[in-house]
Amino acid sequence: MAEEKKLQKKLLAALAVGAAFGAGIALLLSPRRGRDFRAQLREGGMSLKERVRMGRGKSVRSPSDIAEAKPPLSIKGRQADYDGVVVGGGLNGLVAAAYLARAGRKILLLERREIVGGAAVTEELIPGYRFSSLTDDSGCLPPKIVSDLDLGSHGLNFLSFDPLIFAPLPGATSLAIWEDVDRTVKEISKFSPADASSYPGFIDRMGEYCQVIAGIKNMTPPDLPGLGIRDILELRNLAKPVRGLGRKNLAQAIRVLPMSVADLLNEWFESDIVKGVIAASTVKNISLGPREAGTAYMLLYNWSESSNGLFLSNRRAAGGSGALAQAVADAAVSFGAEIKTNQEVARIITQGGQAAGVELASGEQISAALVVSAVDMRTTFLRLVDPYYLDRSFVQHVGNINYRGTMARVHFALKRLPSFTAVKSDRANLLSGRIQIAPSMTYLQKAYDPVKYGHFSQQPYLDIQIPTLIDPSLAPDGKHLMSVTAKYMPYFLRQEDWNEAGELLAQLVISTVAEYAPDFSECIEDLRVITPLDMENIYNLPEGNLTHGQMTLNQFMWMRPLPGYAQYRAPVDYLYLCSSAAHPGGAITGLNGKNAAREILKDWR
Amino acid sequence: MTNLSETNLYDAIVIGGGHNGLTAAAYLARAGRKVLVLERRYLLGGAAVTEEIFPGFKYTVCSYVISLLRPEVIQELELYKHGLHLLPTDGSFIPMEDGNYLASYADEARTIEEIRRHSHRDADQYHEFGNMMYDIAYAVKPILGMVAPDLTSPGITGLNALRHLGVHLKSLGKKKFHWLTKIMTMSAYDFVGEWFETDVLKAYLCTSGIIGTMLGIKSPGTAYVLLHHFMGELDGAFSAWGSQKGGTGGVSEAIASAARFYGAEIRCNAPVAQVIVRNGQACGVALEDGEEIYATTIISGCDPKVTFRSLVDEKDLPSDLVRAIDNFKFRGSSGKVNLALDGLPEFPAMKDKSLIQNTLFIAPSTDYMEKAYDDAKYDDFSKRPFLECVIPTTTDPSMAPPGKHVMSIFVQYASYNMPLHGSRDEQREAFGNAVIDTMSEFAPNIKDLILHKQVLTPWDMEDQFSITEGNIFHGELTLDQLFIFRPVPGWTRYRTPIRNYYQCGSGTHPGGGITGGPGRLAALEIMKDGN
Repeated sequence: MAEEKKLQKKLLAALAVGAAFGAGIALLLSPRRGRDFRAQLREGGMSLKERVRMGRGKSVRSPSDIAEAKPPLSIKGRQADYDGVVVGGGLNGLVAAAYLARAGRKILLLERREIVGGAAVTEELIPGYRFSSLTDDSGCLPPKIVSDLDLGSHGLNFLSFDPLIFAPLPGATSLAIWEDVDRTVKEISKFSPADASSYPGFIDRMGEYCQVIAGIKNMTPPDLPGLGIRDILELRNLAKPVRGLGRKNLAQAIRVLPMSVADLLNEWFESDIVKGVIAASTVKNISLGPREAGTAYMLLYNWSESSNGLFLSNRRAAGGSGALAQAVADAAVSFGAEIKTNQEVARIITQGGQAAGVELASGEQISAALVVSAVDMRTTFLRLVDPYYLDRSFVQHVGNINYRGTMARVHFALKRLPSFTAVKSDRANLLSGRIQIAPSMTYLQKAYDPVKYGHFSQQPYLDIQIPTLIDPSLAPDGKHLMSVTAKYMPYFLRQEDWNEAGELLAQLVISTVAEYAPDFSECIEDLRVITPLDMENIYNLPEGNLTHGQMTLNQFMWMRPLPGYAQYRAPVDYLYLCSSAAHPGGAITGLNGKNAAREILKDWR
Repeated sequence: MTNLSETNLYDAIVIGGGHNGLTAAAYLARAGRKVLVLERRYLLGGAAVTEEIFPGFKYTVCSYVISLLRPEVIQELELYKHGLHLLPTDGSFIPMEDGNYLASYADEARTIEEIRRHSHRDADQYHEFGNMMYDIAYAVKPILGMVAPDLTSPGITGLNALRHLGVHLKSLGKKKFHWLTKIMTMSAYDFVGEWFETDVLKAYLCTSGIIGTMLGIKSPGTAYVLLHHFMGELDGAFSAWGSQKGGTGGVSEAIASAARFYGAEIRCNAPVAQVIVRNGQACGVALEDGEEIYATTIISGCDPKVTFRSLVDEKDLPSDLVRAIDNFKFRGSSGKVNLALDGLPEFPAMKDKSLIQNTLFIAPSTDYMEKAYDDAKYDDFSKRPFLECVIPTTTDPSMAPPGKHVMSIFVQYASYNMPLHGSRDEQREAFGNAVIDTMSEFAPNIKDLILHKQVLTPWDMEDQFSITEGNIFHGELTLDQLFIFRPVPGWTRYRTPIRNYYQCGSGTHPGGGITGGPGRLAALEIMKDGN
């Protein structure tokens, strides 16, 4: 048996060498891949083409072909410095590390930057002002993770706000979505009595559908089209919500998934304003407009992790998104995990096609029984893993993952609160949640259109948060800070260059906010811009995509990150994937880390 | 309860003499049923008709290519015996804005050589792309010939259908299954972009992803529509497009002739006003002139809106079905311009003059295509629309007087909801002018050749062919309106909540195009019920 395996390996190695010297195969690289991506690879010493050539196998195949029948792994008994090394200290890496350590494994987590959190960090971008650099949506961590990891006793504290959304509209009017459904109904009736009466039914019905989505997010996706026993056991997760829905509603729920959020809302509402206000948050983390198929799924996705039964959470971690990551890190340490920052992993060491540890940029080598990658697919497979051990088609498919970030952040240090024309001076609490500049569905869709031609929106959709209204500790006494997510700002610009366009972007955001709060520019003390290019360079998010690959239908469930690899296991033995690139995708939920840890522990038995 | 008049009693009445209605009628008659087809207009075919609107010139008024007609329909109804005569089209010609062009040919090797002029890499990829599409098309084909399972009530038959589907998907193997899931979910642009770099080639390949759909080439879901069209099957050869000798109406005529051969009775100028429902059971139809005709089974070949919201009373339907039908997306997106020409238009980009026989595409770049959509999605028509044209007289001179030609231009996009600037007539004129102006950018002499033009907006299609919002597919082919969701979950199996009332139009699985698929599957289901 061992002999046979050795022979097999030799043969494979011979094949790979043959292939490497063989005639160059035609490449599938889309020309739309950014120069940056290719340049980065070349700087790393090898172009994608070379990487593909180095790989095993023959020309173009489906990624899953390579994933055929692997013998079940057993991690038990492998000798190494650590049981597991987690590469990357983003939230999912931390959650995975915490769960593994909690199960008694000796875990080391390595973070490239000086702080942990990845995209969930709080940074003093302007002295005295602590911003949640990339996202303020820290309120959607599932209660199960909070209790499993006992995050409460590690300093995690959520602060809630109401309304969830405050949407100023042209003409000093506004629409607010409150936690109290009846209160929202009253608000909506200003725009359409019919919509007001549809709203409670909409909330109830979608809330039911979300039970199914929550089940989906907590499970390991099946490896379709085949269904193993493991997969069927996983499907039990869905049994309860599906029973709750009933057959008829189940069909309806499935029908909703591939729809566009615009079509879904058209079925319930008539007012373009109401539809725009509900739809905006669904496209916040996706590079598509509300009329594009698959966006309805994002509505339910956000909904299913909401803290209040509505389509968005209305709470934030005290101390910003970074405080949440820090709490998870503290929990992991309390379970015995080691966390080291300022430690950049240069490569994942593979021996005989099996992951065996990591090598740091400093040259230090650390051996481990298994390696968990909490970084994106591109970094993992085009930079860290030796292409010699990868199938060439697989490398090619990694190159084809759709990122295309379209989000930028602008942070402001404010002398005082700007006065929105739609807000009376004594009602500042209206501004404590999301202030959403997306006054209609048409506005949202029009904001998206320029992206298709490589320009940024001249009338952007803005998601503005002033966290100091509920968490004054983030700014000096009496001052405020404001963070703006601006969409759509494509990573791929045809004319401008992000190295210069940051300034333009800041001006655009300021003038857009000023349309609703005329004194805004006078309130600004200082500002910082984070462009999609910065997101890539500083936070290592390919093409500035916060979710490690777009949350589109073709990168969903068993297709995430790639078909055949949705079960958190990489094509290299003892290498696991736990980042947002894996199911269920991006957002501060930690579910990717939790699900991955569960799969890893299965292999440990 | 009155006794039904015996002389009026049929086994089945088909409402609407479109090609699916005729197909269903032919299948039922072939099985020995006594069938009556009632058509509102003076001629048969629905959207698949040929009309002589301008003396001497035969316009293929609406549908213009026959590629999707299902081979089992051709065989089982022996359509060749009944006048089906398909002329293959040789390929395509796509002029570009810089004076260059792209052409495709029936002969793949020639196409590859042509693509090589633009990109070596793409030329090398083309064959493999074709193979992949062929594989997926074969994987989907059995699904199109399958009655969609009913997710809402998986009884024995439902479970069996689900099992069939599962077995089929599993049999595909992982590779094809994953290609399939990809093509179901991606945009045509991204899907094609994984293979090719030449912009005009991408634009050309994407065109079939948007036909009949109010979506752009960059909208997710359009890759499926691309596949839907790729499955065009002509004499067993995938994706070879063709046209009927004498115009598309000939296909409808052939099916009608088969139906008559099997004993079906067909009446034109017989608009149905209402389905007669008694005790929750359909038992006949009332014509607009008041005549009532009774039958055991009533089958609607109309679109879901007409079938459920105009032919029957709301009170006979469950409220959730009514709501679902009201939410069903039609959104007509296309128009049609038919021209009678004094001679052949000249394209400066066309070096080889014989290319004029090909299908001509005004789809010079992906940006052009996407911008055409952007105009229309805010409820207007495209200022510079995507055009797909054939000049059938180049292969079939009988359609016009000697030396003259007819040109059939399919136009996208035109929104059904476009606002009225002036009257409908003025709007139609403006729309027609946008088409001719765009055409003359690529064929400057066309304006001088026009003897007569017929312009159809989505409104006209709705009025003339009774297709809601002018959607040529009886409802958009988006993921949430396909297969187990077409037309609405729970009523996918050609039945309706009203006993003995059935649907067989393009609004049912497998959807639009001149396929005959819905008509055939509906007839088979009806016979299963013993009707």
